[in-house]
Parts: sequence; C-alpha cells; structure tokens
Amino acid sequence: MKKKNVSLSGIMQSKITWAVVAELLILLVCFLIRPDFFSIKYQPATGMLYGSLIDILNRSAEITIISMGMTLVIALGGTDLSVGSLVALSGALALKFLRWDVLIYNTPGDYTVKPFILVILVPLAVCTLMGLFNGFMISRIGMQPIIATLILMVCGRGIAQIVTNGKQFTTLYSPFRVIGQGSFLFLPMPVIISIIVVAAVSIFVRKTAFGTMVESVGINPSASRLSGIDSRRIIMIVFALTAFLSAIAGLITASRVMSNDSNNFGINFEMDAILAVVIGGTNMAGGKFSLAGTVIGSIIIRTIVTFVYYFGIVSEATMAFKALIIIVVIVLQSEPVRKRMSKMGKKRMKGGAVHA
Amino acid sequence: MPEHSLLEMKGIEIQFPGVKALDKVDFSLRAGEIHALLGENGAGKSTLVKCLTGVHHMDAGTILFDGKEIRPTSPQDAFSMGISTVYQEINLCPNLTVAENIFVGRQPMKHGMINWKDINTRARELMSRFHMDIDVTRPLNNYSTAIQQMVSIARAVDIDAKVLILDEPTSSLDDNEVKLLFNVMNELKAEGMGIIFITHFLDQVFAVCDRLTILRNGTLVGTFDIENITKLELVTMMIGRDMDVIFNLKRAEVAADAPEMLRTENLGAPGQIQNVNLSLKKGELMGFAGLLGSGRTETAELIFGAVPAAEGTETVNGRKVTIGKPIDAINAKLAFCPEDRKRDGIIGDLSIRENIALALQARRGFMHPISMQEQNELAEKYIKLLSIATPNAEKKIGELSGGNQQKVILARWMATQPDLLILDEPTRGIDIGAKAEIQRLMLEMCGEGVSVIFISSELDEIIRCSNRIVVMRDRKKVGEVNGEGCTQQTLLNIIANGQQEDATA
Repeated sequence: MKKKNVSLSGIMQSKITWAVVAELLILLVCFLIRPDFFSIKYQPATGMLYGSLIDILNRSAEITIISMGMTLVIALGGTDLSVGSLVALSGALALKFLRWDVLIYNTPGDYTVKPFILVILVPLAVCTLMGLFNGFMISRIGMQPIIATLILMVCGRGIAQIVTNGKQFTTLYSPFRVIGQGSFLFLPMPVIISIIVVAAVSIFVRKTAFGTMVESVGINPSASRLSGIDSRRIIMIVFALTAFLSAIAGLITASRVMSNDSNNFGINFEMDAILAVVIGGTNMAGGKFSLAGTVIGSIIIRTIVTFVYYFGIVSEATMAFKALIIIVVIVLQSEPVRKRMSKMGKKRMKGGAVHA
Repeated sequence: MPEHSLLEMKGIEIQFPGVKALDKVDFSLRAGEIHALLGENGAGKSTLVKCLTGVHHMDAGTILFDGKEIRPTSPQDAFSMGISTVYQEINLCPNLTVAENIFVGRQPMKHGMINWKDINTRARELMSRFHMDIDVTRPLNNYSTAIQQMVSIARAVDIDAKVLILDEPTSSLDDNEVKLLFNVMNELKAEGMGIIFITHFLDQVFAVCDRLTILRNGTLVGTFDIENITKLELVTMMIGRDMDVIFNLKRAEVAADAPEMLRTENLGAPGQIQNVNLSLKKGELMGFAGLLGSGRTETAELIFGAVPAAEGTETVNGRKVTIGKPIDAINAKLAFCPEDRKRDGIIGDLSIRENIALALQARRGFMHPISMQEQNELAEKYIKLLSIATPNAEKKIGELSGGNQQKVILARWMATQPDLLILDEPTRGIDIGAKAEIQRLMLEMCGEGVSVIFISSELDEIIRCSNRIVVMRDRKKVGEVNGEGCTQQTLLNIIANGQQEDATA
C-alpha cells in the first residue's frame, strides 16, 4: 500500500522518504523488543488476517480517510477543525436511521430499518452539506478557515445530540456491522475502504488538474484568480470533500462499536488528521502537498499508539509518548536536517565514484 | 578624493547563481551629501545597497565606514552600526500608532515597563522636526502614504544613523510630498548625514543631489558631480550600447480597415475608475501613459474583470460581453499580465511548466486536464520561443530571475492564444536585454493580429512601440495621440495640462 502510493505522487520525495524511515525505525524497535510483533495469522472463522501490522492499518483507517481531505484543506492554506464533530454527527445519523423504531414509537422492538442504503446515504449527504457550509463561510463570507470550521467543531456534537434526542443507541443489524467489522480479501473492511478512498482521491486530484489548482490557490490566491482559477469553487469542493470523508470515517467508527456516542466519537480526530498531513510533508502554510506522505503520516501515528498498547506502557503516557516520537519525525524532516543528510549522501557518493 | 569619506566601498563583487550581480564596483559617500545611485533596473543598485545593509554577502571587496572596515551580517547589524534604510514599500505595522511604529523594538523603559509618555513625546518631537504636526497616538493607517513614508524615515534617523539609504522613497508620493521629503533630506544633510538616494526620477536627482554614481549591468560607469553632467549624458550612460537593440524595433503596422477588437463605453466601477471609453483595432498596440496612480492599472483591471465593472458596456470582437471575473475575460480571449509579478503573477512553488499551463487549464476547467505530454510541449515551445533561461521546464518559477519570470507569465498568456493582451508594466524590474526581448515579442504578436494594451511608466518605451497612446491623469483619460511622431514632450504636456485640440496637430 505504501509503495503504491509513493509512485502515485512523487512530490516531496525527500520528506516522504524520511517519514518512511521514521516508520521503519519504529517498527524495527518493535521487532527488536518482540519479534512476534510482525506475525500475521489467518483466522478461518472470520476469514480475516490478524496481527499488529493489520491492526495498525485497520485502526488508522479513519484518520487516513479524513486526512486525504485534510491534505487538500491544508494545501489551500487552511485547516478544518470540524472533522471530529462530523464523525460524531455521521454516527448519530446512522444510528438514528437504524433505530427509527425507538425514536418514533418509543417502543423497542423489531427494527424497522428504512431501505438500508439510507443509513449510509443520509449521513454522507448531511455531512457534505455541512462541508459546503464550511466552504461557504470561507469562500463567500471570507472567514478564516480555522474560525469557520471552529463553529461546526463546537456545535457539530450538539447537532449530533439533537439528532438522537441525546440518546445512545446500539444496534445488531448485521449489514451495518460489515462496514467496520467485515472483511474482504482477508483484510478488515476499514482497510479496504481506506484503500479505495486513497486511490479515488489520488486519481481525482492528480489525474485531473484539481490538485495543481489547489496548490496554485494555496501558494498565491491572487495570481490564481487572475489566471482564471475560480478559487471559491475549489474551496467549496475541498471542504465538502473533507466533510464527506469524515462522514465515511463516522460510519466506520459507529459500525466498529455498533453504537453512537456523540461525546466521544472522533475526539481529537482533527488534530490527528492535521498531524498526519504535517508528518507527510505538506506545509501548513499551504502549497505543494503529498497524499502519499499523508497516508504514511497516518500510519505512523497509529503505529505509535499500537506500540504503546502492545508493550503495556501505561496508557496515561500514550500522549506524551506520541508527542515524543512526532517531535523526532518532524525534526528528521526539517529543512536543516534534510540538507545536512543530503550533503552527507553526496560526499559518500563522491567517495564511491573514486572507488569505481 | 580630498574630502573625508564617510563610507568607502571598494571592489565589491557579488555572484548570484548564473550572473555576476556586481563586478568590482567602487562607491563612496561623504558626510553631509546626498548621493544618487542610478542605473536601469537590474543594474545592481539594490544589490549594492543590500550588500551594505548586510542582506547580501560580498564575494570580494571591502567596506570602510568611518575609516574602519566593516562587514555587516544582517540588516540589524548594519542598523546598529548606524546605517539605516528606508525601502520603497513601507515596512511598518499599519495597525500600530505612529509613535509605536517609530519605537517598536526599542521602546524606552521605566521600571521595567514601557514608558508610553516618553514614547509619545519623543515621537511628537521627532515628527515636528520634519515639520509634521500629527497625532502620534493614532494608528498609522489613518495617514497618507506620504506621511507613512515620513514615519519610516523618522524611525530610520532616530537612532544615531550616519548613513541613510532611501530606496525609491518617492515613487508613491505626489509633488508636494516629494518637496516635503526633500526639505527633510536637506536638513539631515546639513546635520552631516550621508544620504544614498535611489530613484528613477532624473529630475529629482538634479533637484536634490550633490553627486551621483551610475551602474550598468553590475559594473560601475562612474561617479560624477551634479554640476558636471547633463541629463542626456546621464541617460546615455545609464542605458549604454544596449540602446541599439531597442532603437531597431519597429512599430507594428495596422491596416486601416482592421476590424475593431475591443470597445468599451462608459465602463466603470465606482471608487476605482469610471467612464472608460476605448476602441482598439485588431493588431493594434495601444500604450497607456501617465503617472503612477493615474488610473492605467485600474483601467486594465476593469477591462479584464479583475475588478468587476458596475456600469457601461464592453464589446469584444463585435460581441457584447459581461466580464465579472477574470475567467470571463479569459473565455473572451483576453489576457492580462499584472503589474506586480510577485503578488499577482507567479505561482512561486510551481514549476515553469505548471505556470505556463495554468491559464489555459483554468479555461478548460479542472475536469479536462491538459495531458502531461501537451504540457511538456507547451513548456518546451515557449522556453525556446521566449528564450527563457532555465535548465528545464520543471524548475520552480520562483527560482528564476525577474526577466525570466516575466517571460513565463507572458508564455502563460500566449498559450491561451488571446486576441487582446494587456501588459501592465511588463518591463519593470527586469534587465535591459529581457526588456528589449519583451518589446520585440509584443510587436511580433501585434504583427500576428493580436491587439495589445501596453502600460508603462517609461515614456520612451511607450512612444517607441505604440500605434496610439492614451494619456491618463487622476483616473481619467486626458488625451489620445498617435504614436507616430509623438515626443516625450508632447506626452508630458498632456500629462501636465491635458490635451488641447491643437496640441496633436
């Protein structure tokens, strides 16, 4: 998966390289401490592969999916803080439709699920509308992205509470279970979904001129406008897409626990997504971006968390540990370090040439 | 030199990637003189100054300041030695008060707290020294550009500056404001300060300077006392032999029966410019002359929809068009190279290829991408056609020199195959060679039937290339003359007095 994505966009090659190096280093430490970290087993009962590596991919799916949109948002020079709340909203909407019976008749009984596709489509549509609202506030009203999306970040969970009348539902409806707990081609469904999303976004962005235009607007909005680029439309699309992807992540989260939880779903997702983008080598100031880098960034974040769980480090230390590793990764990628490294590389090459 | 030199720069050399920006340049400044630093764009004036202020580092040469050798490492470093600079763009914080701006970073303290009373009194004293009685406690952006410029000078001289560098301080000032500035300069000079004055306005040089130094293509032409040189000699020395290239250019021929390409009737946007009436034939080159802020850029922006027109009509190739934003104009086959290349032209981090394809891509929409092969062909074609100096098309445009950046922007618009190309100061800030090439290209395009609107502050350039010249003043068209047989004096008269009916005969 990693390899494939590096070839999908070769931009920021060097930064991606360092992100990969960081990831490999963390994995190496895992391996040294416990060689069975890498073991992958097949479980015939569920038809799925199991193991820490699979778990990392599985559990990073939500952030990977959201951060595809976040990459574009950041490339435009903005941030989207509302993604976590939209995850909660998406989950709430899905459960509302799954438990229509309880809500309407206030009598638990057999589920009267509307056509199942609605359970999927409504959260996606509503969240996309929310994203368009973000885009509208930014491109038409002229709000700064961080402020505009802060509105939804704060009130999104409130809306989610209203949607379910403040209740927490559980469901056993098995088609819904497939999204977060099913499998396909021996892999957990979230991994499959994230692969599809990454591929789709990459193709959309790089096979059309959308990516270049996003970069162009992110680098120089004024010059882009005078060159005929409709930056408002670009902004609307990017924020709508990010919200749409958050909704997908919300469905996965809800399906994993077959429940909704407006207070806890998607907590800190915006921070993790932003972090994934930054680790992936995209500059917070906007401009050139790398989706492949972001994927690796997301995996790094999850690897750290898995590492902490796996080795029984007290969970209170997780955050501090995460921060520590991220600092190392960011320093590794920083301009001075990369310059020094590439200088050292050149020297070695020269030495090699003499031998040849 | 008999007199005592405050500043001696000897044998300064600076190498930029690919070009020698300065080659063995000598420069001296006496205490109590105003010394003009002159040269065409790209001659090395700013480079020399930046070397003095520690922005650039010399590859060779020495700087003696007050008899001691110095090697400034940063503008702060130079500042603390007593070398102050006021740049063309105002480097102040518009939302801070005048007093805060003057003292920011070195506020007088009392008991570990900022002494506001002291700041305000001292600021007031300082401004009154410049005969400016203003409320220093009001935010800077309440005041005009001229006053802001004065404030930045006040800030520069309040420290014990011995050398003051003024880098084109007058380009945004009107005549009265310039006079005010000159008074201040003369007073500072009387106090024994050495002032380096960079300007493009030759009249100002003769009005206020004692000596002048001319640079051309990074080399020293000479240093002269103001009494010993005439304006003509000065211009000739500034431009040098490269004059030939330009003088051999020929105006485009416009057929008498050429169809009308653009017509605007009472086009306007209140607050910007109003009542724009223009008519341009196919293949015609129309020059816009006038001072800075006379409405030339505003007119261009209006035609191109960079500022949407609120009234009037615009007709392109016989069809009425509504142009509310740039993309509408691009769809109507108009193109616009804006004045501020950095802010409105280049997408710095994108490659030459991507920059060239941008406008064409915008016209097609992002769902219809220009294939990589096409993009490469476009890039190759224009790199060759415009002789853009670059190793390959994947180099970031931000890494090119000004002239080459301008050519890439030109290529961006040529790639859209426009019917009308509007060029706003396309030759500003680029070296004479690139300048000549851009003028040549412009004329060639006219020959191929493209209409061109050419905006420039350099009158000779306008006269040389234009079929017709529109003169603007105070956001109004004050005259229109034929390029053939027009002289600088005619244009200056119109700029100053407006057009009398008999003046064009």
